Amino acid sequence: MRRNALCTVGLLLTVGAISHASAQNMPAMALKEKPALAVGATIAALGALWIAHPENGHLWVKRSSDGGRSFTPPAQVTPAPETVTADAENRPKIAVGQDGIVHVSWTQNLGERMTGFIRYAHSTDGGKHFSTPLTLNSDRQIISHRFDTLATDGKGGVAVAWLDARSRTGKIPKGSPQTQVGVYAAVSQDGGASFAADRLVADHSCQCCRTGMTWTSRGPVVFWRHVFGKNIRDFAVADLAGGKVHRVTDDEWEIDGCPHHGGGIAADGHGNLHVVWFTAGKTRQGIFYRRLAGADFRPDGKLTGFSSMHPPMPLGQPNHQPGHPDVVAKGNRILLSWREFDGDRYSVWAMLSRNAGETWNAPLRLAESRGAADYAVPVVDEKQAMVVWNTADEGLRILTVEAAP
Amino acid sequence: MKRHFLALLFACVAGTAIAGELRPFTADTLTEIKAQYAGRPFMLTLWSLTCHHCAKELQTLGRLARKDKTLPLAIVSTDTPADAQDIQAALKRFGLDHLDTWVFADAVPERLRRGIDPVWRGELPRSYLFDTAHRAQAHSGMLDEKRIAEWLGASRPVK
Repeated sequence: MRRNALCTVGLLLTVGAISHASAQNMPAMALKEKPALAVGATIAALGALWIAHPENGHLWVKRSSDGGRSFTPPAQVTPAPETVTADAENRPKIAVGQDGIVHVSWTQNLGERMTGFIRYAHSTDGGKHFSTPLTLNSDRQIISHRFDTLATDGKGGVAVAWLDARSRTGKIPKGSPQTQVGVYAAVSQDGGASFAADRLVADHSCQCCRTGMTWTSRGPVVFWRHVFGKNIRDFAVADLAGGKVHRVTDDEWEIDGCPHHGGGIAADGHGNLHVVWFTAGKTRQGIFYRRLAGADFRPDGKLTGFSSMHPPMPLGQPNHQPGHPDVVAKGNRILLSWREFDGDRYSVWAMLSRNAGETWNAPLRLAESRGAADYAVPVVDEKQAMVVWNTADEGLRILTVEAAP
Repeated sequence: MKRHFLALLFACVAGTAIAGELRPFTADTLTEIKAQYAGRPFMLTLWSLTCHHCAKELQTLGRLARKDKTLPLAIVSTDTPADAQDIQAALKRFGLDHLDTWVFADAVPERLRRGIDPVWRGELPRSYLFDTAHRAQAHSGMLDEKRIAEWLGASRPVK
């Protein structure tokens, strides 16, 4: 009774504050737009830091030459407004090669949930103007072509890979264990001016984890959460030259569901691949780093295997929900980053190796935030190592792991 | 001060639960759900509009809910209040809109996940089968219709 009276008073007093939020029969829930915090970042010639970020229905690219203290005015990539998918596992991608061409890829939402087209544009004038965006998925059904990843060799080669549900509407027999989602890719040999027709890399992938790609000395390789057997959702690597699918984690995560939690890959200058990922498998649980040493390719560009797959190294504090790791590499230098949550605030962490992943510095706690926050995006070159972190409370943060001398 | 009013409001809303409304799921909501089911078993189901498998899970639950109008089920979307319209449409489509439903209402979903279960890392669908003493069996991925039915049969007192 007393509680009811208190409630009445409380409700009366509160009603003014929340009257604007009752549209959905949900008192006190503000119906505001979700913030698009997910950004893409890379570092290029002369230490320039590049950021791709969606805002006001467009995709924008800006550059900093002073480690993120100041940026050029953002250049508009999308000529017409479109919904750039940018939350959690989705973010715009940016890659800049030695030739100075700025490549951008993103997933355009088509209005329906879990639908998208894979879009690409580039700039040949240092990021001032961008080409008319191309849609790279030749299948134009309003279905899922999403979770794009981008890589360039800086010599005309550009590759975009993504997860594609086109075979869901195709020929897969009823009762087949196939997930009906696969990895597709499109490759350009002319710096992104044109792309060859997209093609299937591997069928039977997990449906909604981010993918990763890196350009090795022998061409691009893609990294994604595959489905082995009926429902083992572990990670795979494949080239784009028609080689086989290589299973690179043995976590044995059997789940008839959506992890929403992928991984990343980077090639160093010595023929090794470096991967990070999340699993809640039988073998191990958490986020991990692994060195895939000595990637071996046939003359036709097909990846045949590795000289050694090093034991997975756990990252983060297990009781702090460590998640969403990523990895980048340049020569000998490998940078890992991830995010944790301690019950009160997020924190962003990084580890740097200067000898191609043989030894690592101690994990560095770079920053914290109490509000909504993006994943941590690492960038590295010969001299600098930084982590880009977009937060609702503090804005875009450029966190230094190693400053330019 | 405003925070206190809001907390009070949440408590009042929970105390006078009206089935069929999508309500904000906050750090205290699970405690309130447990109070609602004191001494009784219930199932907590977490799902999202962005989860490929969740639609199938909701379909199964919808089938069970049609057979049993008093299904002790708490359905929580891990989307955001901004998605309310789509969430309500999906629940209606699966015949679940008359049940107790919530949506994550925190800019930091990790906080809510941690409150439910520190071991759960956000994979979906995620289910908790709470027995009469509210000991939970957790499951990631789709649950078998048979398992839910059997569990409900075993956990509920004979009438």
